[in-house]
Amino acid sequence: MRASVRSGKSPPSVIGRRGLAFGLYATAALAAVVAALIMPLSAYSLNLLMQAATYAIAVLGLTIVLGYTGQINLAQAAFFGIGAYSVALGTTAFGLSFWGALAIGVLVAAVAGAVLGLTSLRLGGHYLAMVTISFQTILTLVLTNWVAFTRGPDGVPNIRRPALLAESGPYLGLCIAALFAVAWFVWRLKTTKLGRAMQAVRDNELAASVIGVDAYATKVAAFTLSAVLGGFGGALFAGGFTYVSPDQFSFAESVVFLTMVLLGGAAAPAGAVLGTGLLILLPEWLRFLKVIYLAVYGGAVILIMIFMPDGIWGYAMTRWRLLRPARPIDPGIIAPLALARETARPDDTVILSVRGLSKHFGGLKAVDGVDLTIRRNTVHALIGPNGSGKTTLLNLLNGIVRPSAGSVALDGVDITRLPPHRRAGHGLGRTFQNIRLFSAMSVLDNVIVGAERPHNEVPAGGLERHALGALDFVGIAARAGARVGSLSYGHQRRVEIARALAGNPKLLFLDEPGAGLNHVEKDELVRLLTRLKGHGLTILIIDHDMAMVEQVADHITVLNFGKRIADGTPSEVLRHPDVIAAYLGEERPALSRSYGAS
Amino acid sequence: MALLELENVVAAYGNIRALKGLTLAVEEGEIVALLGANGAGKSTTLRVISGLMPPESGTLRFAGRSIGGLAPGAIVKLGVAHIPEGRRVFPGLTVRENIILGGSNRERASRAELEADAEKMFGIFPEIKPFEAALGWTLSGGQQQMVAIARGLMSRPKLLLLDEPSLGLAPLIVQQVYRVIADVRRDGTTVLLVEQNAHMALSVADRGYVLETGQLVVHGKPEALWDNEDVRTAYLGGRRT
Repeated sequence: MRASVRSGKSPPSVIGRRGLAFGLYATAALAAVVAALIMPLSAYSLNLLMQAATYAIAVLGLTIVLGYTGQINLAQAAFFGIGAYSVALGTTAFGLSFWGALAIGVLVAAVAGAVLGLTSLRLGGHYLAMVTISFQTILTLVLTNWVAFTRGPDGVPNIRRPALLAESGPYLGLCIAALFAVAWFVWRLKTTKLGRAMQAVRDNELAASVIGVDAYATKVAAFTLSAVLGGFGGALFAGGFTYVSPDQFSFAESVVFLTMVLLGGAAAPAGAVLGTGLLILLPEWLRFLKVIYLAVYGGAVILIMIFMPDGIWGYAMTRWRLLRPARPIDPGIIAPLALARETARPDDTVILSVRGLSKHFGGLKAVDGVDLTIRRNTVHALIGPNGSGKTTLLNLLNGIVRPSAGSVALDGVDITRLPPHRRAGHGLGRTFQNIRLFSAMSVLDNVIVGAERPHNEVPAGGLERHALGALDFVGIAARAGARVGSLSYGHQRRVEIARALAGNPKLLFLDEPGAGLNHVEKDELVRLLTRLKGHGLTILIIDHDMAMVEQVADHITVLNFGKRIADGTPSEVLRHPDVIAAYLGEERPALSRSYGAS
Repeated sequence: MALLELENVVAAYGNIRALKGLTLAVEEGEIVALLGANGAGKSTTLRVISGLMPPESGTLRFAGRSIGGLAPGAIVKLGVAHIPEGRRVFPGLTVRENIILGGSNRERASRAELEADAEKMFGIFPEIKPFEAALGWTLSGGQQQMVAIARGLMSRPKLLLLDEPSLGLAPLIVQQVYRVIADVRRDGTTVLLVEQNAHMALSVADRGYVLETGQLVVHGKPEALWDNEDVRTAYLGGRRT
């Protein structure tokens, strides 16, 4: 075993390090709160700091929705406004306590966020942007024109603060404490199952859903959390300024929130806080420039955006990593990967049964009434000319594409109508023709997302151990800590296989795993496939390298123009005259080489 | 004088040196194969030649002219066509438009001339003719690869840089592509070819260069490379037919 063995000393406890980080963080938070309480600050400074702290909470919501999940939200000021008006009207018109009004504000923002998310997150990109802008505009119109309820453009004065925190100093202390708590939450969120799912959706939604992430639910969760933080920040804001009016929550403010998160860096909570502080303080610092101050302010923002596209924090982190490259994760002693415990039954039963499956794109019959039977613990190859429908068939089996007709049963369960992530939950794994990894995440996190598929039984020792086991199985545990985008092509292919293996699939689809590999790497691939089969896995492989296919496949199905033209053992199929005419050509390149365990 | 000369070329991605002083030459009318493992620097070599990546140091000469540091557009105009790995077909254009765009460096060519050349491309790849009006993204991976090769040939290059032309293609089509490469050379185009499939590449190449971690390991005629036991087992793979 390659894994290093530690000499005597116990491994550094992750809990211990986290505990230390939390201790330091809590101390810093306490110090900041105490400073707010005892420092004699001018009313002007108090206002600025209160604005910065409450804005930053709302901007942290954007860190979740934009930074982690990659979804645009141009209505954060609307959620901020919902929170603010709940406290404003609750403590004045309805005579509620501050805390009661705050809770209502957060709740209303959450419901509004969830409803908006549920209805619009099936759309992507600029459609989502437009829906959020519309929501923002509607809210501004309601605040301005429903005078009887919101008091219209005059706004709401005399908002009450909690009884014990009525003075500005203590109230600022509350805002700062809330900011520290929210930032901690957002930071920790990144390393939870939900946080990883968010990042997976951001980096590659299709791959995320195929390995078991419910992309839609994840996006709705992110959007709702973002709205909650918007509402929370707004509620604190209303208490801070004791006066609110509709123009404070306009579309322009949503753009300011967005600029803050992008300027500071959307990938980490520190960026949100930094960007908020800068955009609130910068105009104040530049006031001495008088008439040209807005131009300089705008120019500075543009320059930062151009030269630091990942934001200030992102830029600083990149520099820091260049100076101090991340220490490689010491895999320690890696337990061998426990694969397919329930499925290791080489009893010749059928694991996948496909009947009359068709997919028509307009007039084009990409897949045309295909029958396919895959037996347990075999390697089944799917071959055919380019454009014959192989990848479309795989997409149908995965649920990425809906069939026009036909049925698919996995291990006796009809999965024809299930979405991709539910199929992953039933034990379908997949790799892609053009590698689809979560490029901004670490190798290890990529594999952990795979291990977190629904209904996966992760053995004792935890996710991380299990993911390292999967990486070790494909021989790259040593690169676990690297950013997956920095890996070579061949290694990325292996990470993709490890990600699928970590989900303990019953049936694994490999779409051209040999493409772009040289003969040495193909030798390794053949050995890997053989080992997987030895562990009881069933594999459906698409590849054009007949030397490899001939060597690993127990059974071959050939497609041409979406139809099955041959099906049988390699020796039968590869001599079939139709297959030679449509696919192999006159020569048999397969005879010239052989791979692997010869 | 060789058509293409690289001397001590160094290129890096950030801190990682992909080419560590590479020297090679391609004579006019030759087919030269660049071989080696993933990460050896083969694709980087092509990117440096076509100007997609500026070299850190070293000289690059094409037809006697220094091209180190020239913009990709200027290098295309000199007659260098690069067909990169990974297809990169324009998804929102039709197959025919994709192919005709490949001739955009030929400023004097008339529309009719380009259309005629596009027809020739469909003659070379009859498989994509039925899809000439289909949008690029609707094609399968292998069909996109054919479009990418046809698009590169449309520029009527003096030097064709081909990055893994066989990637993702059915055996029948691979044979076809290699026949096309041989035909292209017969028509006077010089070809520099990157391939994982050493067997296929050396079947058409006049010479081969083997790279490892950004450096030249060995070069020579295909027979000499095959006859060298160490080279064969380490880099070429398998037996010779």
